[in-house]
Amino acid sequence: MKQLPVITALMILFAAGPLGIVAAEAAGPVKAIGVENEYADVISQIGGKFVKVEAIVSDPNTDPHSFEASPKIAKQFAAADLIVKNGVGYDEWADKIIAAAARPKRKVIDVQQLLGLPDSTPNPHLWYDPKTMPAVAKAVGDALAEVDPAHAADFHANADKFIASLEPWNAAIAAFKAKHNKTPIAATEPVANYLLEAMGFDILTPFSLQKAIMDGNDPAPQDVTTQNNLFTGGKVKAFAYNQQVTSALTKSFLDLAKKNGIPVVGVYETMPTPGYTYQSWMLAEVAALDKAVTEKVSTETLQKGH
Amino acid sequence: MTELLSIVFAPGFFTSEPVRTAAVIGAAAAIVSGVVGVFTVIRGQSFAGHSLADVSSAGGAAAFLLGINPLLGFLGMSVLAATSMELVRVDRASERDLVTGIVTGAGLGLAALLFYLDVTTSSTTGATVTVMFGSMFAIPASIVPLALIVGIGALAAVGMLYRPLLLCSLDPDLAAVQGVPVRLIGLLHLIVVALAVALAAITVGAVLSTGLLIGPAAIALHLARRPGLAVLTAAAIGVAATWGGILIAYDSYEWTGGHGWPVSFCIVALIFVAYVVIAQARPTRVRPVLGTARTGVASAG
Repeated sequence: MKQLPVITALMILFAAGPLGIVAAEAAGPVKAIGVENEYADVISQIGGKFVKVEAIVSDPNTDPHSFEASPKIAKQFAAADLIVKNGVGYDEWADKIIAAAARPKRKVIDVQQLLGLPDSTPNPHLWYDPKTMPAVAKAVGDALAEVDPAHAADFHANADKFIASLEPWNAAIAAFKAKHNKTPIAATEPVANYLLEAMGFDILTPFSLQKAIMDGNDPAPQDVTTQNNLFTGGKVKAFAYNQQVTSALTKSFLDLAKKNGIPVVGVYETMPTPGYTYQSWMLAEVAALDKAVTEKVSTETLQKGH
Repeated sequence: MTELLSIVFAPGFFTSEPVRTAAVIGAAAAIVSGVVGVFTVIRGQSFAGHSLADVSSAGGAAAFLLGINPLLGFLGMSVLAATSMELVRVDRASERDLVTGIVTGAGLGLAALLFYLDVTTSSTTGATVTVMFGSMFAIPASIVPLALIVGIGALAAVGMLYRPLLLCSLDPDLAAVQGVPVRLIGLLHLIVVALAVALAAITVGAVLSTGLLIGPAAIALHLARRPGLAVLTAAAIGVAATWGGILIAYDSYEWTGGHGWPVSFCIVALIFVAYVVIAQARPTRVRPVLGTARTGVASAG
């Protein structure tokens, strides 16, 4: 029993060690991760100089659906105070890394859960939905305020400012819908569907084809024929082309659209960089779609310098 | 009658461009695979054929990375693998299997690396599924001319090699005594197998191309006594299975709620069922004719 005080002292020492590290870490800026770079952009607009934000999925030349995580990413996740991820199976790999690197006070915002969407939601590209980012901005503001209460007022004010800054985009959507409701359009993949639906477009590409392209599966030949006829028959006014989910099949659609004079609009899985914020990107997409429908002009890529 | 036809052939089957491209390339692959497959089965080189198919997947992955015609990728890699496998001089059959296995492992490892580079450096959605299991209805029509040239070239090569190849396959000792360059013929045969495998890989995928190479040939050798007849039968069975598989996959759209089953599965399933049925029904037809030749191949290694 004589050893008990020694053991207790040792236990306190061991317990204090990690506590000391936590205390030291909390002194620096808040570390946040937006798994997809559009979410990272929103965090950085709300966090400002008090938050250090990193984006994981941001390469405009690759397909985020087939993203491969690396050990370096696991390390970034382990150090983060706030993580925003899309959900709906889009970034399932992130769930595993988050679970593997437990961190008691870390906040994780899963956009799917935030919006109360079921796992069976067919279209995972939530960031194109005008309803999504206002909810994300509010949740990010609240989470940052909890992690760093000293700057809570800044975070809440920035979140409100961000939500207000989406107004021109919403106005552009409403203006387009008022003038061009039910405009027929074709797509390769459902990435921009939420925006297209909000703008009143009638998406004529069968969803089974969009899903096969998104998942990299065999397309049904009936669907391929339907899609080809949309172009050769001039049945659509524009073609939303996902620049990050491409295959021999999507390229054959692209060629056919061009051959038949259907204007092409490039749409993206991640925010095209550099030179865009979430707001300016979304405005550029609406402007490009408007230009395609009203002036029959293609905007194949939004990437600057292309 | 027309009603029955429309049940068998779902609407639009004959006017569909993806179906037409799949039918042309599929038939070319099936004919070449069937013809070459008969020699491959007689020579007991099924494993080597499968190995070439596996290794060719690295070529398919590389083609995505380089943005070139995938058929060129499959061709390059399978011909390279065939040459290296045949140039390693081995004397025992068991050792040949070993070399084949090691080349297969290395080739698939390379494929894994190239697929990783595909998805991390470029937008190549579905590359892995397309290369490994094929996407017949997504084959660009621009591949057709090259596929037909490769197919005709392979058939012409088999035509020129026919007699010495058959002799080497049935009785290598006799062939050697008669002055046939047995090793050279073996190398040329494996290169022709590589061409067949590349064609099959573009249609049913690298992993499943063995089904097209070995299956129809094995069925034909159960049905036909003479090798010449077996070659024709194998080609016919291959084409029938491929077109049948395309039809089933096309029709499956109607009963799967618009998803459709993969063509590759339908083709390979048809071949498998046909083999099981034929092997049960006619188990002994071909053995007496080829029996002596088989032991001859085994002893010569």
